[in-house]
Amino acid sequence: MRILWTTWRQRCAQLAVSVFLLALTGGCSVSSSLSAPTCENGQSTLIVAQSVPSAELVPCLTELPRGWTVQTVEITQQGTTIRMDSDRAGTVAAVLWFKESCDTSDAVSLPSDLDGAELFEYIVRITPSFRAQRYYVFPGGCVWWDFDFNADNSAALSIDLGNSLVLVSRDALNENIRDSFIDEEL
Amino acid sequence: MSDVAPEETRPEGQALIIANHTPVTGQRRRPSGEPPPLPRELNTTAAAWLIGFAGWACVWALVFLFDGPEVWITERDLEWMGPIVDNRQSWLTPSMQKVSEIGTFWATPVVGWVTIIGGLAARRIRHVVLLIVALSLVAFISTVISVQIGRPRPLGVSIIGAWEGFAQPSRPVALFAASVVSAGLTLAPFGRWRRSWFFASAALVAMFGFAQLYVAVDHPTDVLAAATVGVAVTLLVYRLWAPESVFPITYRGGKTAHLDIAGARGAAIRNGLESQLGITATDVQLIGVESSAGSTPLSIATADGSRVFAKLYSRSHLRSDRSYKLFRTLRYGRLEDEQRFSSVRRLIQHEDYMLHVMRRAGIDCMEPMGIVEITPDHEYLLVAEFIQGGREIGEVRVTTSLIDAGLTTVAQMWGAGLAHRDIKPANIMVQGDRLRLIDVAFGEVRPSPWRQAVDLANMMLVLALGSSPELVYERALQHFSEQEIAEAFAASRGVTLPSALRASVKKDGRALLECFRELAPERPMVSIQRWSVRRIGLTLWVTVVTIALLAVFVGSLNDIGLT
Repeated sequence: MRILWTTWRQRCAQLAVSVFLLALTGGCSVSSSLSAPTCENGQSTLIVAQSVPSAELVPCLTELPRGWTVQTVEITQQGTTIRMDSDRAGTVAAVLWFKESCDTSDAVSLPSDLDGAELFEYIVRITPSFRAQRYYVFPGGCVWWDFDFNADNSAALSIDLGNSLVLVSRDALNENIRDSFIDEEL
Repeated sequence: MSDVAPEETRPEGQALIIANHTPVTGQRRRPSGEPPPLPRELNTTAAAWLIGFAGWACVWALVFLFDGPEVWITERDLEWMGPIVDNRQSWLTPSMQKVSEIGTFWATPVVGWVTIIGGLAARRIRHVVLLIVALSLVAFISTVISVQIGRPRPLGVSIIGAWEGFAQPSRPVALFAASVVSAGLTLAPFGRWRRSWFFASAALVAMFGFAQLYVAVDHPTDVLAAATVGVAVTLLVYRLWAPESVFPITYRGGKTAHLDIAGARGAAIRNGLESQLGITATDVQLIGVESSAGSTPLSIATADGSRVFAKLYSRSHLRSDRSYKLFRTLRYGRLEDEQRFSSVRRLIQHEDYMLHVMRRAGIDCMEPMGIVEITPDHEYLLVAEFIQGGREIGEVRVTTSLIDAGLTTVAQMWGAGLAHRDIKPANIMVQGDRLRLIDVAFGEVRPSPWRQAVDLANMMLVLALGSSPELVYERALQHFSEQEIAEAFAASRGVTLPSALRASVKKDGRALLECFRELAPERPMVSIQRWSVRRIGLTLWVTVVTIALLAVFVGSLNDIGLT
């Protein structure tokens, strides 16, 4: 015998309204829901690799330095974009791009800290606020940081954040898929 | 001693009850567990889609908890889509890419906005809001599931279409399915038109789904799950908050407040009348629909050859009543003393109560006969005496005796501390030489003095429409003082007149309001604006909520697929 019919209906309505408001306030946004490609969790890394199918290397992130958080992650067939906030350098103080190619004509070549990739850096300004791009170019793809810090924040923050970037080979990802998932490749 | 009340002592119309409480006529108590006359149920199609949705929920749970199902499903998916991808044709590929692109970026916004504009043009605000709710829920569910499942795009094939994020379920397919179903439920009338729209929509969704497989951005199960989510969630939202039986889609014009009394509801009305009031209905017809917007008025022929009058109230009428009262409160403040009804049951109880109170005060209005439950908490029928041979006062010549009867009615209401609050030609019936008041739904006990004064002015205007203001004023002096009449017309102006009365006065052409003001002693106008903390707070609240909802809606257009 149903005697709580109205109450249940009211609860359903309240739940629907809550979900609706949550959805309207950004809960249904893909970019705000995706997590950054961490090197420990292959879920996002696989579609990051699929976003630039020509790239031999694929970016992933280890633990971010203290004070940095991921704001949005966009992963599409055109590439991957990760926007990050910092409690010191400001909102969207760093953006990590992963595309098929990039323009390094204004940048200077430096010794690379990541295997298999060439490093280029273009410093727009250091004071009053740090603004620069750091490019890693490799066969079939390019990963670059775009730093735009608030005033009074040094370039040292960019070094800390840059150290969290790792490039894994597509072959290693394919091997991992074959070992733990199915006999296919990216 | 006999258990049965003697025939001659039983009041007319009352069921014969014996000692063990078993009625011997049609009247009986509905036992626990027995469905009401019109149970509130999802139809078979909606139930089937919901079962499909529940099935996918089980699949997602298995995939989330174990590795095996994900591998098995992905292998099958790639097997199914392999022949499609391996046999891409150069002549077909550009078309499939275009279909995928249109479906992903254009279809949902176009269908969504056409539905919103069409729905607003047809004044179907509820359906438009539900479209946005459905799209938001579908977007939310798709996003949450896709992030939890974390399925990559198809592996081992070349992807030649646009995509974003994880694959399962396919977000563009889900949003497109939701938008076309919403469009059908908002714009297409039930029956052939809606069936045709749904067949066409199914074909469009299938074509879009095939294109997604062809360009290899989705697996087959991504498309199937998405279509199920889109259709099931949308059907559920519309069935719960805009069921066809209560909010029908029609383009016949006229009032949208009137419910369809054919089919299941018609049978439920007959069944309810029989089992709850012991009235055997042989025919149920709409009556006076052109002058009624707050309920569905019915004329019911009974087996004994007589007729009864009934008003069908549903949640749609309750919501209209709430919106009307909110509007009145925002516009006039506390003058109206408006309090909204919390349920349809309270609304119909109020009208039934007002009929009893009015009759107790000696006012000649319809005799109430009872309330019939059609759907608990959703639909009720108020049954009352049918005014046999009655005609609206606007259709007859208004004699001096009718003028006196009308003015006496107002005097009786004043004496008993009552107000009718909706005095207009359609609510005053003439039966022989009797003047009878109907539709007391807006009636109030101990109303504001302003409201009582407006009742007098409206009654005098109605009476003057069929006679002359001078005669009505002269007769009114027999019942009211000059000051009272002056107060009535000082409190009245265009907006205090029911819209039907305002239209009649305008059509009449005589400046009746001004005429009465000239006849009565001069008196300063009574302000109809009353400011209070409640009114200010309510106005601010409504403004802020409206702006906030609009801002959030505009900000989330992209997330719910409308850009």
